[in-house]
Amino acid sequence: MHLDSLIRRYWRPLRVFLASTFPGLTEEQAEGLLQDFAEDKLLKAGWLQRADRERGLFRQFLKRSLRNFVLDRLSRVEVKNAPVSLEELDGELVEAGSEAGSEEFDLEWARVVLAETLRRMEADCMDPAAYQPRRSQTWELFRLRLVEPLFQNAAQTPYERLIARFGLKSPLEASNMLLSAKRIFKGHLVQVIREYTEQDDAAAEEIRRLEEFLARLAKRSRTDAPPG
Amino acid sequence: MAEFNSATALSVSGPGPLAELLAAGEPPAGLWRPEEMAAIFRHQMAAAVLGDLGGATAPAGQPPAERGVPEAQAARCESYADLLRHPNPPARLLELVKEFAKANADHPENGLPKEIAAVLYYGCIAAALVRLKARISKLSDADLRRGLGWAVEQPWVDEETRQLLGRALVGITRAGARDGSGL
Repeated sequence: MHLDSLIRRYWRPLRVFLASTFPGLTEEQAEGLLQDFAEDKLLKAGWLQRADRERGLFRQFLKRSLRNFVLDRLSRVEVKNAPVSLEELDGELVEAGSEAGSEEFDLEWARVVLAETLRRMEADCMDPAAYQPRRSQTWELFRLRLVEPLFQNAAQTPYERLIARFGLKSPLEASNMLLSAKRIFKGHLVQVIREYTEQDDAAAEEIRRLEEFLARLAKRSRTDAPPG
Repeated sequence: MAEFNSATALSVSGPGPLAELLAAGEPPAGLWRPEEMAAIFRHQMAAAVLGDLGGATAPAGQPPAERGVPEAQAARCESYADLLRHPNPPARLLELVKEFAKANADHPENGLPKEIAAVLYYGCIAAALVRLKARISKLSDADLRRGLGWAVEQPWVDEETRQLLGRALVGITRAGARDGSGL
């Protein structure tokens, strides 16, 4: 996959990271710095090669690069012309704590990865040119059973309505269809992640890290929630 | 409901639902909810026996579709319920269904919920014991009692199957008491 497409896809997490790490920047300044970062750093030959496994995860490398780029850019700007002083930004950085910015970036990243995975799964399953029996129903089942209850607060469609809707003849057939949907989802998830990790074992590791991160954040959200 | 858009739906989601979706690609911890077991078991009992037997349990060299066909046709056993409620079920067909259920209980990734497969497995053994006075399992009396006892207690099992399982359990417990084994 081309790096520019990758950057476009993950533009939102980068913007979120910039906003939370440097809260003094206006939206316009942040957008300008991001444009410069993409053109001056990411799209320059050799940058991606440095984001190799020795330097840690691609996500971490991206965050570190962006943070350093912004600090460097601001330090080279004439103080009188600077959008905001470096001293002020440094103070804000410490105050805000880079961990919060990093978490917001990772959460946004996970959203993009999963949304892209679902988009591809739907396109794959609903593709009329690649006819496979029941493929479109497999997506429908996954959507009704998992995706809409999770993200649209929809009630989970009961088993009996599912088998009637899809004409499923036995629990084995129903379970196999749901298993098949989960396998298709996993296949696309690995593919989406592999586009930035580039290797299968690194993709598996990235999935594990995202799972750990989201589980930790979810647990903390439940703990922080006021008793209901 | 409005058309689903993954980017919009996920853009405001908290970490909990995202974590659950990410875990969807992992091996199934349970495809269906526990409260759906009754519906799944009803569906299983109404399903065509020969539909499932045409699957992965056929031995090498034997066309899957031919397994159990003559027995099922002769006894007019179309569904699992027909088989387990038959006054004189074909022993061979009970054995084939028991093998199918065992294969699924041992390998939940095959698809059938393992609890459903387990009740089906003990149901076949019970039908052979109660209707045919035959034993189609090599399990010990103690293991059979444990298995039948577990199956009887599942709240989602229908009344007729529960009675069959219960009668087999009583029978095997009495037989054990008579010859002093396992008690």
